[in-house]
Amino acid sequence: MAKYQIRTDDAKCSGCLRCQLACSDAYTKSFNPSAARIHVDFVGVDLAIRFTDDCVGCGLCADNCFYGALQKVSEGEA
Amino acid sequence: MSLGGFAGTVLVVDLSNGEISKEPLDEGMAKDFIGGLGLTVRLAYEKILPGTDALAPENPIVLGAGPLVGTDLPASSRVFSITKLPTSGTIGWSGAGGVTFGSMLKNAGYDQIVIKGRADRPVYLEIIDDQVALRDASSLWGKGVSATCEGFWEDYTRPTGVLAIGQGGENLVKFSMAYIDRIATLGRGGFGAVMGSKNLKAVVARGTGGVRVADRKGYKALREDILQRMRDYPYLKEWQELGMIKSFPFVEKETYFQVKKRRVACVSCPAGCKDVVEIRDGDLKGLVVCSSSAINLFTPIIYGLKDHRQAIKLIADLDEYGLDMFEFLGLMVFASALSENGLIPSGGAQPQIVVESLESMEAWAGKIARREGLGDVFADGFNGVIGEFGEKAREHAPAMVKGMHPYSGPGAALPWHLFGTMELGQVLDPRGPHVGSSGSPTYFAKRPLDVFPKHLDRMGVPEDEIAALLQEGPEGRKEGLQVGSLLRHAHRWFAILGSLGICARAQINRFQSASFCAQAYQAVTGIETPLEELRERADRVWTLLRLANLREGFQRKSEETLPRQWFGESGFKDYVHDKPLALEEAEGMIDDYYRAWDWDPETGVPTEQALGRLGLQGLK
Repeated sequence: MAKYQIRTDDAKCSGCLRCQLACSDAYTKSFNPSAARIHVDFVGVDLAIRFTDDCVGCGLCADNCFYGALQKVSEGEA
Repeated sequence: MSLGGFAGTVLVVDLSNGEISKEPLDEGMAKDFIGGLGLTVRLAYEKILPGTDALAPENPIVLGAGPLVGTDLPASSRVFSITKLPTSGTIGWSGAGGVTFGSMLKNAGYDQIVIKGRADRPVYLEIIDDQVALRDASSLWGKGVSATCEGFWEDYTRPTGVLAIGQGGENLVKFSMAYIDRIATLGRGGFGAVMGSKNLKAVVARGTGGVRVADRKGYKALREDILQRMRDYPYLKEWQELGMIKSFPFVEKETYFQVKKRRVACVSCPAGCKDVVEIRDGDLKGLVVCSSSAINLFTPIIYGLKDHRQAIKLIADLDEYGLDMFEFLGLMVFASALSENGLIPSGGAQPQIVVESLESMEAWAGKIARREGLGDVFADGFNGVIGEFGEKAREHAPAMVKGMHPYSGPGAALPWHLFGTMELGQVLDPRGPHVGSSGSPTYFAKRPLDVFPKHLDRMGVPEDEIAALLQEGPEGRKEGLQVGSLLRHAHRWFAILGSLGICARAQINRFQSASFCAQAYQAVTGIETPLEELRERADRVWTLLRLANLREGFQRKSEETLPRQWFGESGFKDYVHDKPLALEEAEGMIDDYYRAWDWDPETGVPTEQALGRLGLQGLK
């Protein structure tokens, strides 16, 4: 599996949690935001994206982001 | 639970004695009524005793989220409620973008919640996975919607979903609503008052159980198909950028961008339509407001408020109190006319009712929410005002349907002048005047009829019925579009989307089709669902909602009357030719609607054959 760094842009995040859904589905075979390796934290009306230590950089979260808040960066480009 | 998608449990809460029980979801019932909206209608039909007062403890609230809610199929977050609504007296559906609430409810393990009785003190319902409890809400009573949600998020952290009422609901304002995650509205017609009558301030949900699908391979193929179509859609970025302003550009984009702070989406939605705005200049500088859509925030401009920042402030106030802005603004125009014509005694309305004034409107929003002075009368809606000031007042009332103000049409907030399915639907949706269930290609004005067939096919209209919808009608009606018959299909399409849990808004709806829905439902739940069967189940749902309201005494002749203000030179125009619509033409559309459903056109009662086909005869 390719490994990526994930570039985040909190300002573009909409809080749709598609990233958490895709991640949890891939690794737990269940749509379970709490089990994802990426989390969108709500801070007032703002949002902050973070990754857990288990994240392997598969990039599925970025593939499922429609708002430009997550972008895959190949290791050589980082 | 053997089915995918469903959590498998119905939560039953009796506020009167504090008992909480968990019942297994009836799989047969789930199959027959799809889930979500449909299952909620089914449970409500069983639980609501005919003739119950909307604000009595015996009127239950049935909440539900469909089998797709919690998955990552696009915009599958819808939450529905059925209860008897106090303004209209109808058994009405209320629906909202679920933001995080629907997903969290499903993750906690519940498809439906039945809430009955009345607590003896303010409470909120806490649902954290298996842990379900009624908690004291005394310290929250009297707080607005945002303040309440923020308080919960401090304690429970996000993405905990919160369904809450403001002071309007607490004080039984007939046009109060509930709000999900402070941003999505639930329940024109007084859903907030129903919660308030139960001393129920909020429902809080958070879960970690996950939602699984039955056929992962089939699901994955369907998901990729729809997501790719969305990625390829050339206007997706514009929808994301503008939100609902793209649909209703009644302010300049520049005005919107002056205040836009960020887009907010419900869980799983790739388009997003909800807004956070910030006022960056003037007296209101620094005010940050969350809203179901920027359209709402600018609506007071239509009513004459000139400064868009003041419009935002007024809607922020109404949202904080938990009041329906359409009903509030319509009521204020009405009250202003009564004052001008001396029907409200001189000095009776203090401050003076001036719809164009933020100061006046803020004062009246507060007086209504708290039921202070004349605000106590206004809090009972149009019929309350007419009851107080007499039948002469009715002459000044705007168009009304089932005691409420239709928000689309001549003299209404959304001054659409063409008579499509959404306009007719304001009379024929059982809940009362609402456009949300009645979407069709007529959503966009003057759409060429040759683009209709592809959309009608998408909505699940059988191929052999499409041509008949696009031809001239009988008895001299020359529209070339059968709006009444088309509305029957729009209501079925809404029942499909709502029962699965999919948003019906145009920017999402356009990627959906009934055929896709049948396949997605089958992949998620494992229930074999050919398209014809999905259609039949959706027909069962809408027909049962009809039966629930017939049981309350709503029949065509007595209750489904067309407002006189809709006709004449300044009234609605027909959709195809843009010519004044005659009352008789619209009456003919209602006939067509009933016939298309196989309901008696005189009474609106489903025929025995229709009930037999749907297995609804003798239903308890």
